[in-house]
Order: sequence, then C-alpha cells, then structure tokens
Amino acid sequence: MRFHKLALSIILAASLQAEPYTLGQGYQVNDMVNVGGYFSSEFAKKGAQETITLDDVAVMAYGDIDPMLSYMAELEAVGFYSHNMTTGVETGDRKFHIERLYGDLWLSDAYNIRFGKQITPVGYWNKEPINVLRDSSSNPLYSVLLFPKFLTGIDINGFIPGAEGAKYHLFGQNNRDLDPGYINIPNTHFFGLSVEKELPSDWTAGGSIGDYITAVGNQHTRYVQVNAKYDDATWQMMAEGLVAKSEYDDTSSDNTLSGYVQGMYRYNPQHAVITRVEHFTDHHRQYEDNIAVVGYSYRPLYPVSLKGEYQWHSLEHENRILFSFSVLF
Amino acid sequence: MKALLFAIGLSMTLLGSQYVLIVSKKSGIGSLSTQQVKEIFLQKRHSIGSERVIPLNLVGQHESRILFESNVLGMDRDRLNNYWVKQHYEGVSPPLTQGSFESIKAFVQSVDGSIGCVPMSMVDSSVKAVYEF
Repeated sequence: MRFHKLALSIILAASLQAEPYTLGQGYQVNDMVNVGGYFSSEFAKKGAQETITLDDVAVMAYGDIDPMLSYMAELEAVGFYSHNMTTGVETGDRKFHIERLYGDLWLSDAYNIRFGKQITPVGYWNKEPINVLRDSSSNPLYSVLLFPKFLTGIDINGFIPGAEGAKYHLFGQNNRDLDPGYINIPNTHFFGLSVEKELPSDWTAGGSIGDYITAVGNQHTRYVQVNAKYDDATWQMMAEGLVAKSEYDDTSSDNTLSGYVQGMYRYNPQHAVITRVEHFTDHHRQYEDNIAVVGYSYRPLYPVSLKGEYQWHSLEHENRILFSFSVLF
Repeated sequence: MKALLFAIGLSMTLLGSQYVLIVSKKSGIGSLSTQQVKEIFLQKRHSIGSERVIPLNLVGQHESRILFESNVLGMDRDRLNNYWVKQHYEGVSPPLTQGSFESIKAFVQSVDGSIGCVPMSMVDSSVKAVYEF
C-alpha cells in the first residue's frame, strides 16, 4: 500500500506544476519530473459475443533525481470498464496497480543497475506492451503466456565491451512480485539473461534465456528465446521463437513451443497493413493453435492509434474481430 | 525535403565536413564512432566508459540538425518524433536543446560531459572535437 501512495504522490506533485506539452511525449515539468499516461479501448467480436472494453488506464511519472539516478513510477488499471453487448452485463475493475516502480543507477556504459518492479527485458513485445505502441490490436501468445511480464528485482545492464551496438540484461528476482495480483505469472524466483545487437542496414537480433518458479503449483520453467527484426521507414519484418521446458511438482515435465513471423508495410506514415502467422503448442495443457492475423493501423498522429484486425485460429471457436483505439499522452 | 537533403549532401561532398561534435577540453572522451554518437543522441547510452554524457541539440530545423539526423542518426524528423513517443513510455526524454551554436559551445565549456554540434570554424582550444560530419 505504501508503494501505491509513494507512486501516486510523485505523480500528483508533478501534475501541480505541469507546463504545455507535446502529445505523446508527456508534460516535462523539469529534469526531475515528467508526467504522462495512456489509455486503450477495444471492441471484440468472438462468435456471438460482442464486447466493448476500456482496457488500460494508466498514469506515469519519471525523471532524473541526480545525473546518476533516475526513476519511473506507473499506476495502471486493467479492465477498467467492460460491457458485453450480447448479454448486457457490465463489469469493471477500477483498482490501480503498480505497473512499474523502479530506479536506474547509471554507473558506466557497460554496467548499470535497474532496481524495483520493471518490465522483463525479453523480446520485442514485452518491452512495448501497451496497445498504442503496438502495430496490431493483439500481441502474440508467447508474450503473455510463457514468461513473467514483470520483474521485482534487479537488472544489471549495459553495452557489451568490445561488441559495438550490443547490449545485455542480467536480471534476477528471488521474492514475490511487488503487486502479486497484477502479473501474468506470479512467481517466487526468476532469473534470466537477454542480449540484443544492432546490425547494419536496419537489422537487430537477440535472444534470452530464463528460469522461473511459479508461486502457485510450483511449476519450474526454463526457456530459450530468439528474435530478429528488420525495420526501415516503409517495411518492418520481425520474427521470434521460444521453447520452454516445465517441470510440474517434480512429477512430470513437458515442452511448450511458440513462434511467429510478422510483416508490416507502411504506405505512408499514418497507414499500415500488418500480417502475422503464429504457432503455439503447450503439450502439458494439450493446447495447440495456429493463428493468422491480418490487420490495419491508422495513426492520425503517432501517439493516437486506431487499429482493426481479424484473427483466424485453427481452434475455430477462437476466431475473432478486434478494433482498438488508444492514446499516449 | 528530399531536394534540401540532396543539396546539403552534395555541398558536404564538395566541401568536406562542416560540423563537429564537441566536448569540454577537460573531457576524457576521445573520438567517437558513428554507432556511439547515434546511441548518445538517441539516449540509449548515458556514458562513455565511466564518463556521463549529456547530449545537446540545436533547437529548430537548422541544416546542421537535419543533416545530423539523416546522415548520422539515420532517421527523418517524423521517424525521430515517433521514436521519442516510444521513449516517453520508457521514461526517456529527448536531448536538451539550445538556441544557438554559441550557447551550445558555452554549455559544453561549463558542463562536464555535455556534447553538442557546432560549425567546424567554432572549434578552438577551449573545446575538443570528437566527431565530424
């Protein structure tokens, strides 16, 4: 509770002195305080069910306390309001959770420390998890089902000496999440290593390994993930794959496989067409799905996103239409 | 815009480097690679070795900034603005801006670790050039 109060007091204190700002880049009060936020709403049609959701509502503050120390605080409510247009049922969770609360200690180009609750530095999607920054309304299943999205611990990070354009993250958590009710996989132990390198001609590539133990069910999972992306002003191609092996109460073990390839063509800065094919197999839960997505993205301004997509699933009852509207401010 | 960039690029080819990035003469920073400069001005890198760096931009659309963004950062202004929107979510702000080359030079002379662009002709013994473009 005290963390909620700390984060909220930082955000409120900042907003008292806010100056005019650029949409999508927050209020910059001074070097110590920048404030901003975002929201997203979504319409989904799956079978006969039609639902409208005000999904994410978030406020955040960040800044430099000292040349060597900066911070980030973010509170978010997920599923803020939902209306099932088929049944007429309205639901909502207006409780704000700690999405991020961390400090950065900048020591050198090769060695910095991030401490607190933070986004796990794995892959492309988890590092840009909010609707407005994505180019499709949905994100691949691997990014929400196969590793904890957040880390309440320490991430040592920096540039790898002698390898120009290459960065590493060595992170660890040996406790519960700061807000255990607000994480996709509550866990008590999470360690990992991620590396990423910028390559010539608009390419990046990287990979991760990790090991975590769930707080419920004592599931022990180890994963290996790889990613590559090409991104110029017109085209973006990206692909990721993840293999995980899990032990369940030391009595059985199974593998999970997931991967996708996505292409995007921007025919001007506002309009883009996106396609993605994805595979997901969880042998333990006997869940297997192949998904094809075709979507359209319109950004009248970059921090304002209108998107629509259709998903075809090999599990046909999962087919759906999604439309979303989101703003970063 | 393409015509302007072409004209700037052509004049650069004919005349050689016109602009340099400078740091304080007391700085331990030596010459920088294009990759390092890109990382500094995109706020991906906060130090060179253990020396903290503070990038400075010239305010507005001066030809030096357009040239720097297109040839060194490899982005036009629209793409760069989109990049800073993404960085806002990451808790990262664009570099500080200064109103003139003179104020960039004065800032660099007085604030350790600051780095900014000035015309080659403004380099003297009070500052050190670490990158030419």
